[in-house]
Amino acid sequence: MHDTFDKTIQNRREVAAGLPEYSVENIVPFGPIHPALKEPEYFKLVIEGERIVDVIPRIGYVHRGLEKAAEQRLWIQNIYMFERTCGICSFAHSTAYVQSVEGLLLYNLPERAKYIRLIVAELERIHSHLLWVGLLGHWAGFETLFMWVWNDREIVLDIVEAIAGNRVHKSLATIEGVKRDLPEPLVPGFIDRLKYIAERAQYYKGIIDTETTLLVRTKGVGKISGETLQRLCAVGPLVRAAGIPRDVRHDDPYSAYGDVPWDMVTSRGADIHTLMQVRLEEVVVSANMIIYALEHLPPGPVKIRVPPVIPKGENASHVEAPRGELFYFVKSSGGRTPERVKVRTPTLANLPSALEMLKGHTLADVPVVLTGIDPCFGCMDRLSFIDLDHNTKWRWSGEQLRQYGIRHYFPERGK
Amino acid sequence: MITTILEALIFPGMAFTIALGLIFEWLERKTMARMMGRVGPLLAGPAGVLQPLADFLKLLYKEEIVPAFADKTVFKFAPGLFFMAPLVSMLFVPVIGPTAVASFSLDLLFIVFILAFSTFVIAVLSYTSASSFTTVASGRLVLQYVSYEIPLVIAIISPGLLIGSLSVQDIVTAQSSRWNILVMPLSLAVFLVALLAELEKPPFDIPSAKTEIVAGWLTEFSGRSLAFLKLAKEVSLVFGVSLAAALFLGGPLGPVPAIVPAGILYTLYFLIKVFGLALVVFIVRTALARLTIVDATSFFWKILLPLSLAQLFVVLIVRG
Repeated sequence: MHDTFDKTIQNRREVAAGLPEYSVENIVPFGPIHPALKEPEYFKLVIEGERIVDVIPRIGYVHRGLEKAAEQRLWIQNIYMFERTCGICSFAHSTAYVQSVEGLLLYNLPERAKYIRLIVAELERIHSHLLWVGLLGHWAGFETLFMWVWNDREIVLDIVEAIAGNRVHKSLATIEGVKRDLPEPLVPGFIDRLKYIAERAQYYKGIIDTETTLLVRTKGVGKISGETLQRLCAVGPLVRAAGIPRDVRHDDPYSAYGDVPWDMVTSRGADIHTLMQVRLEEVVVSANMIIYALEHLPPGPVKIRVPPVIPKGENASHVEAPRGELFYFVKSSGGRTPERVKVRTPTLANLPSALEMLKGHTLADVPVVLTGIDPCFGCMDRLSFIDLDHNTKWRWSGEQLRQYGIRHYFPERGK
Repeated sequence: MITTILEALIFPGMAFTIALGLIFEWLERKTMARMMGRVGPLLAGPAGVLQPLADFLKLLYKEEIVPAFADKTVFKFAPGLFFMAPLVSMLFVPVIGPTAVASFSLDLLFIVFILAFSTFVIAVLSYTSASSFTTVASGRLVLQYVSYEIPLVIAIISPGLLIGSLSVQDIVTAQSSRWNILVMPLSLAVFLVALLAELEKPPFDIPSAKTEIVAGWLTEFSGRSLAFLKLAKEVSLVFGVSLAAALFLGGPLGPVPAIVPAGILYTLYFLIKVFGLALVVFIVRTALARLTIVDATSFFWKILLPLSLAQLFVVLIVRG
């Protein structure tokens, strides 16, 4: 990874040396505030006419200091805070966090809680994938697809609301269990609606395979090879679309993924079209998983009460969020608050691939390709320093940053 | 004299065209909304029919901002020019009878010139706005224009070639026994596709692709200029479908029984044809995704141009 980073820097400097002035006319700013971005992020697109030569990202506009804030909050409070890392894959974040905390405890997660976690996680995946397909339609100028898909997504949100009480931030996962039991009388209705969703996903798959204007916009656009994706450490549907079978649910089953029968969806040749196919196919798989889980729901309690103090130790855990592998690291010093929490979100892992996918395409493809990785900049933004002029990079602890701030504003006090 | 002036200014001239444009905007929004499973405009007037007018009036009140580096003269006066172009051309299209408000023997050529002129005005406007989005938009606009212009002009000229006149009025009168669409269905299709490109509607809304270059060439406009530019686009749509109706569907012609006043029936026929064509445009624009400029250009040169040429040969053979 470090080598790649060094090479990237090297590469960028060579490009900059070859084209001494990226003149102002050649740079189209994309963001931080742009209609195609739902979150602030800045990409300098270096273009020649319509063609993109280079992309210079600048991340960090929505850095919120969550990891630092976690150190001052109780273990339980952190669940709800990390849930708010992302508005779309909120349950994946809370599951990953509670899983890494559960690793420090010596309880067995109740079977029923495992199944409920799987059901909600898969509902979230359906909702996220449908949202993505709709947004892709929107960004390819296909408003009708956007409206239709989002209309169907409402059904999923309704189910989530019936289970968890909320549409977006489910607040359902808790340490060693889930907070609420499944409303049994509503289950037959859920199954009917999920069957309808699977049907609709197949229908949309038909649309994306046959609608000519959409095919022109997606087929062969943002093409990237499996080797490049592996080299750039990409995760999630992006690598599966390139034919690499990598899925945390399969490789390291958590929740009830080991008990529920399902097949991983892969495809050949990652471009935007196969990404759409893979995601819609995953919607069908997820719907079937949920139906199976609802029909085979084991009886029993849904949570175990745990003491507010977590034993000393460190643990890492990962889940397959809708966008890819989501990684949490937790370190406890045996107190009521964590000593350190580290989050690695799939968007950060996929961004280098997205930049690679953009090069050589036209300006018109930028929104479509950037959407291709299903970016969530709010999840991704964090602080590190790269000095291109001196080719060095470093990280600062909070204390060093504080010192730097003091030096910057009060030079006489910093000495 | 007074009658001509009234006809030019009110009915079937400018006021009528603008009103039709506003109704078309409402119809477009409503059609799109229904196809997408939404409701569309609802509150202003019955079923929201006054919403476009309300939007227009609201924009008139807004502050107008001129970018610091823009060419002030062009920036202020060109929107008016762009607005007048389709409005003036509309006078050459017969509405309330086989005769138009204004007509001369070569007015079809004048219309072709006006179509080119309005695109030229936008391109200049876009370039003088001096922002990176509008610069890209003006490049796309010109590239798209040089691609669709030739099929469009061939489609416009072929009825004239069949009838042997370059006056819209003559072309309409000659269709009293047989509509041109029976001889040249392809021309009408080519005309409508090129019209989509001229009006920047999907799949050819490339110069104003909102997810790529904000609002395209409209990005820097605000207040009055924006209001009139938006209205001008609607008026262009009215003019476009009216021209299609006149050239291929016999304009206001149709069977007229002696009991009913001919003027009313002619207007009715005209409106039916125009609304039908507009509905086709709206449905197509809702059902398709946006192409990239590369694909659009190759589509116009490789598919539309041969089609229009083939139709031209058919016309030559029919004419003998």
